[in-house]
Parts: sequence; structure tokens; C-alpha cells
Amino acid sequence: MTAGVSFRALAGRRGRRGVAEAGWGRTAAAALVSLVYFLPVLFIIFTAIKPQELALSVPPTISPTSLFGLIPDQFVFPPTLENFSSVFSRVMTTGSAPEPTGFDLYFFNSIVIATVSVLLALVLGTLAAYGFSRYPLKGNDTYLFIILTTRMLPAIVVIIPVILMFRAAGLSGSYLGIILLYTAFNLAFTIWMMKSFFDELSSDVEDAARIDGSSETKVFLKICLPQVVAGLAATFVFGLILTWNEFLFALLLTSTDTRTVPVAMNQAVSSGGRGTDWTLLAAIETLFLIPVFLVTFFLQNHLLRGVTFGTVKR
Amino acid sequence: MSVTQIARTSPALLVVSPDNWRLAIAVGLLVSAPAVAALPPGTSFWVVGAMVALVAAAFVVNAWRRRYYGGLLVAPAIAVLFVMNIFPLLWSLGLSFFAYQSNLQSIRFVGLYNYTKVLTNEIAAPDNWNALVNTGMFVVLTVSAQMIVGFLLAMMFAKEFPLRRYLLILVLTPMMLSVVAAGVFFTYYYDPTFGILSYVVNSIAGGQFILMSSKAGAVAGIVFADAWMWSPFVMLLVLAGLVSVPKYLYEAAAIDRVSAWRRFWCITFPYIRGLLMLALLFRTIEAFKLADLVILLTKGGNDTMTISYQLIRIANEQNKTSEGAAISYVMLFMVIVLTNLYLYLANRRNRRVET
Amino acid sequence: MTASSTIKHALLAAGVAASLVTLGATWAPAEEVTLTMAVPDWPPTRIMKKFFDEQYKPKSGNHVVLDVDFIPWPDFYTRVNASLTSGEKKYNFIVSDSQWLGAFVEGGYYRKINDLLDADPEFKKTVLSVHPAVLAAYSTYPYKSKNYYGFPQFPDVLVNFARKDVLCDATEQKSFMAKYGKKLPCTGEELDAMTWDDFRNVGEFFRRKKGEMLAGKPLDDDFYGIAYQAGKGYDFASMQINGMIWQMGGNIWDETQAPTGQAEGVVNSPVAVKALEQYLGMIEYMPPVAKTGTMDIFKTDELFREGKVAMNVDWIGLGEGTIDPKISKVADKLVVGMMPGTLVDGKLVRWSNIGGQPFVLTTWTTPLQTKEAVEFVKWWLSDDIQRQFAAAGGQSAIKSVYEDPKYVTYRPWNRAWAASLDWQKDVWHVPQFFELLTEQQDQFDLAITGEQDAKTTLDNIAKFQQNLLTEAGLIQ
Repeated sequence: MTAGVSFRALAGRRGRRGVAEAGWGRTAAAALVSLVYFLPVLFIIFTAIKPQELALSVPPTISPTSLFGLIPDQFVFPPTLENFSSVFSRVMTTGSAPEPTGFDLYFFNSIVIATVSVLLALVLGTLAAYGFSRYPLKGNDTYLFIILTTRMLPAIVVIIPVILMFRAAGLSGSYLGIILLYTAFNLAFTIWMMKSFFDELSSDVEDAARIDGSSETKVFLKICLPQVVAGLAATFVFGLILTWNEFLFALLLTSTDTRTVPVAMNQAVSSGGRGTDWTLLAAIETLFLIPVFLVTFFLQNHLLRGVTFGTVKR
Repeated sequence: MSVTQIARTSPALLVVSPDNWRLAIAVGLLVSAPAVAALPPGTSFWVVGAMVALVAAAFVVNAWRRRYYGGLLVAPAIAVLFVMNIFPLLWSLGLSFFAYQSNLQSIRFVGLYNYTKVLTNEIAAPDNWNALVNTGMFVVLTVSAQMIVGFLLAMMFAKEFPLRRYLLILVLTPMMLSVVAAGVFFTYYYDPTFGILSYVVNSIAGGQFILMSSKAGAVAGIVFADAWMWSPFVMLLVLAGLVSVPKYLYEAAAIDRVSAWRRFWCITFPYIRGLLMLALLFRTIEAFKLADLVILLTKGGNDTMTISYQLIRIANEQNKTSEGAAISYVMLFMVIVLTNLYLYLANRRNRRVET
Repeated sequence: MTASSTIKHALLAAGVAASLVTLGATWAPAEEVTLTMAVPDWPPTRIMKKFFDEQYKPKSGNHVVLDVDFIPWPDFYTRVNASLTSGEKKYNFIVSDSQWLGAFVEGGYYRKINDLLDADPEFKKTVLSVHPAVLAAYSTYPYKSKNYYGFPQFPDVLVNFARKDVLCDATEQKSFMAKYGKKLPCTGEELDAMTWDDFRNVGEFFRRKKGEMLAGKPLDDDFYGIAYQAGKGYDFASMQINGMIWQMGGNIWDETQAPTGQAEGVVNSPVAVKALEQYLGMIEYMPPVAKTGTMDIFKTDELFREGKVAMNVDWIGLGEGTIDPKISKVADKLVVGMMPGTLVDGKLVRWSNIGGQPFVLTTWTTPLQTKEAVEFVKWWLSDDIQRQFAAAGGQSAIKSVYEDPKYVTYRPWNRAWAASLDWQKDVWHVPQFFELLTEQQDQFDLAITGEQDAKTTLDNIAKFQQNLLTEAGLIQ
């Protein structure tokens, strides 16, 4: 089925993207909208640099600077970096010295697990998408729909069988286990995205190459893959964002050694036996946002161009 | 495109050859069966694993020699999906036909009892139906809010302007937040004593503003948070469609003095329809799973219980595993019907446009 | 365990192995025993681990390692439940809410310790030195039977946290006396003597708007008199309501009376309805978040620490925050009394629902591990360690410890501890606990948010419980 339009035939060939120029007027309007949209995030970031005792002040303190007197003093807080150091080391019991919290390890785990599993899903998913696109099997659409189905059920449904399997295979609490699970978790989206990219490619060049005697492997690696680099980038970013913040599997299938940040983050939601430690939670979230923010920022151009060529096709 | 198929006969059953998958299966079964029977589970697991690997290898060699590239390419992904996802799903599908509580070690076949119980039992069913209705409401509200907001944001960013790159990333950030952190901070924003929302409303209107004390307010709070987080997802997909519209089409339209409305429907819309569909599909699937935000913001109070939260309660808190499985398959059925409906409508429209 | 401590343990093990090689011929081999423990991540368990690492010397000469998995509180049940029910068999010790006992004993996960008690008189003496109300709540299934399972990790009760700067203010004292003809409670002893009516009066008296005066100063934000848990999550209303029902002479479904005890007629008895009405009647004097059904134990604590309420009934376990000046605006203004009671025939009745957690042994723990575990529990419940635990901010249910005059000097709330213990009862221990609780919390939430009255609420709960428990064979 085709739910999209093959616009590459039109757009791809006949020149530039259809981005019209708009001037600083648009910048002003977009800046206003973006900033308003960004405010809840900004508040979290500001909370991360807020002194702990001002976290719940009434009226809320909303800015580390008075912006040359623009913001009344009661809404201004003196910025501090203390919360960031508390993420990695803080006092756990009254009267004792600060102890390491293990967050260095949790950040490391999050980065390794998310990166490896998304890349793995990208490799397997791209191969599969290429297969679905170029060598359709009998019942191709059914397979694709079944793959989509794996995304439809809440994780809680499969958790008990998965734990049992992991125990039998000795994968409980290991990097390999959670990575394979996340790989599967990402495959559906990867396959659907990448297939639509391959579907958009013209087969003329490929056929010509085959006639010249190129092997199938070479056609894939040298001709098809370079054309979908942007799609790979886009899929990588989407996969990363989803995997980065996954919580339930991480909670139940990692051990203390392989725990990821979203699980450990709840240390701050119920901190030291009381409720939320707002500044600590904000500091963790802010640090946790940085890697995925940077990746998205640097792949942004690919992201736009990438998704451009990938309409939904089935 | 076609692949030249070279007809090659498969090796006979007893020929020892790397592509003889029939022999591999036979050997695998012969070795596995006694291993499972005689050895402890820890050991037999690996024996069976090795046999499965043997059979798989035979299939791969077979496919390679006979150039079944499609199967070869798809196989690794399917294998991972099968082991990690589809197999556990089938397992829980199986469980839905048994009376099984994961904290009590008894199991008994009950056929469709769990399904009739979760859908018709006079004590258990009303909560489920109520949660399903609420879920429906949340799906409609959150998905339409995301589609509208995402679309409008995309329109705003569809043109090139100074600093566009930097402003765009600001709008994309909400979906990068962890749901727990975002949800916990929304409880703060909505808090009547400490929160910003009540502070602002109270300063302007006076009195005591409590957003989450009514169903309308609680739903609005949840929908707002969810739509805020995930509109960027829709925006990104729509934006991609918008920037792909060839410029010359707009130029031609300008010469013909086509109205803005017609220009949108005839030129722009066809380019974003497919992407809107993809966004709609994935957001709908996710909206059916809405639970985290509800748990964090209301605990299901003020009649905001969703079916996914209900499922967590039943399957996880109360350990009624098979009942939970039944609920999730009812849910799956609904999502499948809905997504197929989307795809069907999209197709039909598509065909009409093309002809 | 972090990676670095894994390495540390590996090195240690290597060291032990090396010394074994050299000494092996003459010495009985010391064995490496690891006890894996699932605990919620908070100070009482952190202290336990710290004490163990610093002080514990096993008598057997074995090398015993306590491998503690600190799990953040919000996910603790999910993690433990999944680990147990999937048969992961990972943990030897589990910190467990007492209500979970039935569900996990019936599942075959929690180990009955009667045989261990019988085999080791010293162990038995140690365990039986725990306050009987606490022991029954933390260790027995069925509740109050002679089957023992758990040991106190952090015992806890509800107490009344109050602000003396506001309560002892002369003007407030005077106008309270003028309005109610009673002294506004100000000292610990006066707080102890409070009834729920007094508590209500405090709530009514201190409801002030922004700009009004409080203790001689104008308020920069709204102020409220009282707070207690009224949240829909987990057990954050039941724990408070149960106490009130018991105090007024009502009861919840009583599992010690099974199978003849009923839910219908007991749960929704007129006294119980009156108790619930009393509970609901005070919600209007509490901070506005009470109307949303999300005012849990953490929210009331937060409101109290931020100086928004004069009194807050909450668990001792949340107390450490209130005296930490970094996060508490009332750190130097705290006075603590017992939870208010109900006057019956001139005597204060103060039944309350016990909080805190025991820890239990699991059934797959090997004999060698069990042996070391018993030694560990004896050490943990020993006088000396319990004293140190209390001094570091923990609580002890061991009589010799909490009756020591020094005990009340450790923390401001310790003065209310010993007297409260006699009045502790526990909620159900039956395996259906979570279903009973969920339905009850849902119904209470409807009442708290004003959707239905007390009578309807308790009728619904009674009907549900009668049905469920009859099906389970617990009511005949």
C-alpha cells in the first residue's frame, strides 16, 4: 500500500528544497513561540542551578538573573552548581560524609546501552528494510504489520516471560540482555522508517550497476546505503530519544551494575526518605538531557532532510 | 526488480552438507529431546541453544546458496524480534487462556473465561470499560492536540530564517525529557500551593485556583503535558514534508493567483499526507499506552483511569497475570482495528487522488 | 554494587583465596558467603549497610558480604514483586511492607523462621525482645498467629509534627483560648493530650489568607492549620483512616476472625461511618492540594517543611527532613507529639496503623547463608547496634533500647515513640491485600474529592470486600 507520495520524482530531481526565505520578522515570531514552548524545560534547567532551599519558594523563583532589573528581586535566585556535584556524591545519612551515588556508572551505562542497541537496531533494521523493499517475501505486508504490532502493547505484558527467559539464558542484569531487548524495541520503528527510504530510491542506478556485474552486496553498500545516510541519521535520533528514556525494562532487567539513569533518577523523586528533591532531580535531568540534545542538534540537518525522503509506504 | 533464481535441488536428507537443513533439524531434535529429558535445565538450555544455532546456520547456508536474499536480509531482525518480543507476546497470549497468578504457583486452563471476566463480570468489568472509555478520550484529545500543535509549529518553521536552527532545537527538546522527570515537574507546575500555574492565576484572578480538583481540570492537565512533550514529534515529521514541496509549484501558484487555502490543499497537503499518517499511527499507538503521566499527576483520580494503568494495577500490583494478559489482548485488538482503519482510509483517499 | 566495588570484592576474594592456599593445611577453610538484600534506598537502609561494612565481624570466621541492592522507593514494590514472581531467586533478604507478607508467603517466597527460632534460643530471645505489637505486625502471617517471618528493619508510627513558634505565640494562645475555651497545645505533652476535635479546632483556627497576621507577622502566603495524608496513591489515606476507625471502636475487616468475621456490617458499621466523616470533615482545613486526591505523606511533609501548616500527622520516617535546615524552614521550630486520640470514657484511645518495614528471609537461601543470616539478624537486633541505629536516626522496637532515658534525646519525635508502640495495629496480611487496598483507596479518593459521602463509600468497600473475601474462602 502507498500512503505517501513519491515526491522524490518531482522534488529530488528538479532542484532545491522548497524552503522559502523569510526574514527577521519570522525569527522574532518563532523566537517568541519557541521560548514559550521551551519554558517548562528552561524551568527545570534553572531549578538545577537553584539553591536547594529556594526550590519551593512562594512566589516561585524563576530566573538566575534580574535581567538588568526587569525581573523583580523576589523572583530571582542566586545560581549555584552545588546540585550537579550532589548528583555524583552527597550525604546519604545524617551526619556522615558524602558518599558516591554511582551516577557516573549510571551515565556510562545509559550511554553504552542506548548507543549500542540503537546502532544494532539500525544495522539489523536497515538490512531487513532493504530485504522487505527489494526482495518482497510472500505476505510482505503481513510481516510488516506484525512487526508494527510489537510496538502496540504496553511493556508490562511481556515483562514476566522476558524475565524468565533472561534468567534461563543467564542474561539477567547483563549489558547484553538489555541491549538485545532494546534492539528489538527499536526494530519496528527502524524497519518502518528505513523501508520507506529504500522504497523512495529509484532502481535505475541499481539495475545499471547489476548489468555492469556488481554483486548484490556491492549494490547495497555502494549504491543504496549512501543515498539513505540522512534517513539513517533520522532513525538514529528517534531511536536514541526513545531508548534513552526507557524505564520499565531498565528497572526490571538491570542490576546495580548495569542500572541506567532513568531508573536511578527516582533516587531524587523519593530522596532520603522524604519526597522529591527538586533541585537534585532537575540537575540529573539536565545532565541527562545534554548528550541526546547535542546528538539531535548536530544531526538536525540530516534529520530534516532525512525524514523528507521517508514517507510512509507499505 | 527480479533476482535470477538458479534452480538447485536441495540435498537429500542424509547427505552431510552445510546446507542440509532437513538433516540439521533431525539431528537437532534427536539431540535436544534426550538433553531436555536427562540434563538439568541450566545445561540443557545451552544444548538446545546450540542445536537451534546449528539449524539456523543450515538455513542460512541454504538460503545463501540458493540466493534467497530477501529471507537472509530479514532473518536477523526477525530473529531478534521473535525472541525478545513476539515470543513473550505469544507466551502472554497463551497465559490469557489460563487462570494464573504469578505470585501463586498454580495454573489451570480456563478457555475464554478471562476475556469474559474482564469484559462482562459485574464487579471487574465496569472499571475496565470505564478505563477504556477514558483511554479513548485521551487518545482523541492528546493525538488531536499533538497533530494540531505539531502542524502549526511546523508551518512556523517551514521557511528559512535567521537562527532557525537554534530555535528549532528548543522546540524539539520536550520530547527528549524523561517522562518521570517531566511528569514530576508538571505536578509542581500544577500544585496549588507551590506551583507556577496557580500563582499566576491567583495573582490575576484572585481566589484559590486548583487545576487538578475536577475531571475537566485533571484531563486538561494530563493532555497538556502529553501534547507538550510529543507535539515536536509530529512537528518534525510534518516539517519534513513541508520543506520537501518543490518551490516551483508555489511559484506557479503565485502566477495563477491561487488562493492560500487552495494552495494548501492542492500543493502542500499531498506532500505531508503520508507523514501525517505516520505521525498519527505512532502517536495513536503511544496514546493507547498512556499511563506514566496519569500515575504521576492523578493516580487515576478524578476519573482519569486509563486502560494501561488499569493493566499495570492488575498485572503488576495484584499479580493477576492472566487477567492482565486478557485485557492487553483486548486492547491490542482495538489498536489493530484502529490502525488498519487509518491505513485503509489513507489508501482509499490516496487511490482517489491518483486516479 | 558498583564496578569499583566489584573489583574490590574480587581482590578481596583473591586475597582470601591466596591466604587459604598458604594456610589451607592447618586452618578450616573460611567460606565466602554473600547475602544479597533488596532494600529501598533511604537512610535507615543506608545506615544498616554502613554499620555492617564498618562493624560486622561474623563469629563463624567466614567472610560474609552483604550485597545490598538499593532500589529507589517509588519502584521498590515493582522491582521486588517482579523479581519474586518471575522466580529470579536473586535476593536472600528482602525489606518488605508488612502487608505484603501474605501474598509472598503463599507464593512460597518468604521463609518461615519458626524452625530457626526453635533451633537457636539466643535468636529466639532476640526476636522476642521486639515489642509484641511490632512483632505481630512485622513477623506474623496470618496476622497475630505463631508463624514468624520477619524482623524489624525500620519500625515506624504516625506522630504529630508541629510548629512551636506558631503554637506557643502569646497572641495566638490568647485568641485560641477566647474562641474555644481551651489552651492551644504548645508543648509536647499538650500535643500528646490532643483529641481529633482539638486537631480540627487547630485546623479551623489557623486557616489564614495571605496578608493576614500569623503569630504577629503578616503572611506572605496562605497558611493552614493541619494536614494529614489524603492521597489516592498506595495506602496514603487508609493508614490514617484505619486509626480513626479503630479509635472510635469500629473495625476494618479483621483477618484474625476469619473465616467467621464479616466485612459487611463491620467495615460499614455506623461507628466506622462516623470515623470516616470525622476524617473527611477536616479536609477542608487543609492546604488546597487535599482537594485533588494527591496529598500523600510526601506532600504533607513538604508543606510542613515549607512552613505552610501548623501541624502535620506523618510517619517518623519522614522526620529527618524536618530538622535539616537546608530543606526545612521549621527546623528549629519543631515540636512533636503523639498522633491525636479519641476520648472514650474519659480516657484517650489512640489506636493507629503501624508503618515501617520488616525484612524477611527468602526460601531459596542455602543452609550456609541461612546460618550467616541468623547471625546477622542477631547482630542487627542487638542492643548495641540498635542503640547506634537510633542515634543515627533510626528507630528501635527493642524494649531495652527505647526505654533507655537516652533514647528520647536522639531525635525530637522519640519522646512519642514508646507510648505509641502499645497502640499499633496492622492492616490485613492476606494475599488479597493489594486488591483490597486498591479498591479502598479508590473509594476513599471519591470521598476525599467530594464525589460521594462516607456512608456510600464504606458501603461500596464493604460490598467489594465481602465478595472478594468470600470468593477467596476467607469469609464463610
